[in-house]
Amino acid sequence: MRLTGAATAAAAAALSLAGCAGRQSALSPGGADAAALGTLFWVMLGGAVLLWLAMNGMFFYVTRVNASAMPRRLANGMVIGGGIVLPTILLGALLGWGLSILPDQRQPDDGLTIRVHGEQWWWRVEYWPEGAAAPVVSANEIRLPVGERVGFRLDSDQVIHSFWIPSLGGKMDMFPGRETYVSLEAEAPGVYRGQCAEFCGESHAWMAFEAVAMPPDAFDAWLDAEAGAAAAPEGGAAERGAALFAREGCGACHAIRGTGHVGQVGPDLTHVGGRRSIGAGRLAATPEAFAAWITHTDSLKPGVRMPSYDHLSDADAAALAAYLAGLT
Amino acid sequence: MSARHDPQRRRDRPAERDEERRAFREEAESLVRITAAPTIWSGHFLLCYCAVAIACAKAGAVPGWLTGGLLAASVAALAAIGWVGWRAFRQWNVTDTGDFSNPEGEAEDRHEFLGHAAFLLAIISFIGVVYVTMPLLLVEGCR
Repeated sequence: MRLTGAATAAAAAALSLAGCAGRQSALSPGGADAAALGTLFWVMLGGAVLLWLAMNGMFFYVTRVNASAMPRRLANGMVIGGGIVLPTILLGALLGWGLSILPDQRQPDDGLTIRVHGEQWWWRVEYWPEGAAAPVVSANEIRLPVGERVGFRLDSDQVIHSFWIPSLGGKMDMFPGRETYVSLEAEAPGVYRGQCAEFCGESHAWMAFEAVAMPPDAFDAWLDAEAGAAAAPEGGAAERGAALFAREGCGACHAIRGTGHVGQVGPDLTHVGGRRSIGAGRLAATPEAFAAWITHTDSLKPGVRMPSYDHLSDADAAALAAYLAGLT
Repeated sequence: MSARHDPQRRRDRPAERDEERRAFREEAESLVRITAAPTIWSGHFLLCYCAVAIACAKAGAVPGWLTGGLLAASVAALAAIGWVGWRAFRQWNVTDTGDFSNPEGEAEDRHEFLGHAAFLLAIISFIGVVYVTMPLLLVEGCR
């Protein structure tokens, strides 16, 4: 039994350690800020363990090892030293170090600023390269160049959200009517996952996004393409999908640059087919997922403002999906 | 003070107990005294956080004179807590009596117990003020 228990504990430990890896983990950093926070976490944990061992070691000593009466001076020393002096110095040192690295997370950006506006439950994204007069508008995905410090100007529509890409840095709350700032520097190219980290309503858990750290040249090329208008996808289904998009009134809420659709209620769809996810991290951006999303929004994302277009036939949904997936 | 170490004698002589009651009569009011140090701590906390929040909201930055003033307030708060703590330590009177816990419930015990409590509260308030002051020195600006 004992062996089984130990094996279970080891398996549980291995499983929980496995949970520390991955693309949404503060403990597998992809950038300088996350690395600093990771170190901070381990040092804080070390300090806490040290304090725990010292305190409980003393408890153990006086209650089990040497339970007899001890000289007053020694007893006072243990209570005052272990109970007041040691924790005060240790916590003071940890606090001082933590505070000293706090400003690093708010350093000014190297030129590119990304404005992110939290909605229920998705992200309005605007890229403002240095000196830009107008932003490149996108949604539900963050791309950033590796090796550059990128500034994020954050605010929110109706409720408080929190912007967090654990693998790249610390979280920052997003408030309606008040702009907050955080800067991130990705060091390793990769695809990370961001997640709203402040409860913001029934689909809070589905408010996520993909964060793609790219080599600077690739990022510049991507941003140029993203700034352009949508190229109308070719093919019978996609062309029928474009007509359905207009007929169903999708453009009342969604904008597609280069078409007459300029709605601002929902996410900009100009290059939605080029994104890695749809529905703010809800589904992979495949044609099948587009069709599922359009016809089942309310079950995929409870409370979402977009109605389910479940009156569409499978063929119509597939055509619409082909059009949207083609908007790369 | 030596009378308290002979409880037999004290219990046998009601007149002496009455005298003790009179001697420590101010205890009824001095409960307030044990809250002095935490009150200074909380006042300092509110002063620092409100002043910096207002400066950041109105000016977008914390002017040097405000940081200096708050640091001076911190020194003053620490001095005041130190004084309260010293008074409390004297009231606890542990060095004379050697009595840590004052368990007897007589007026003098209560007096010394309140000193003990006030002394411990002064220690934690002192540490609290130090920790509240650290961001003033280590975090610049409003971000």
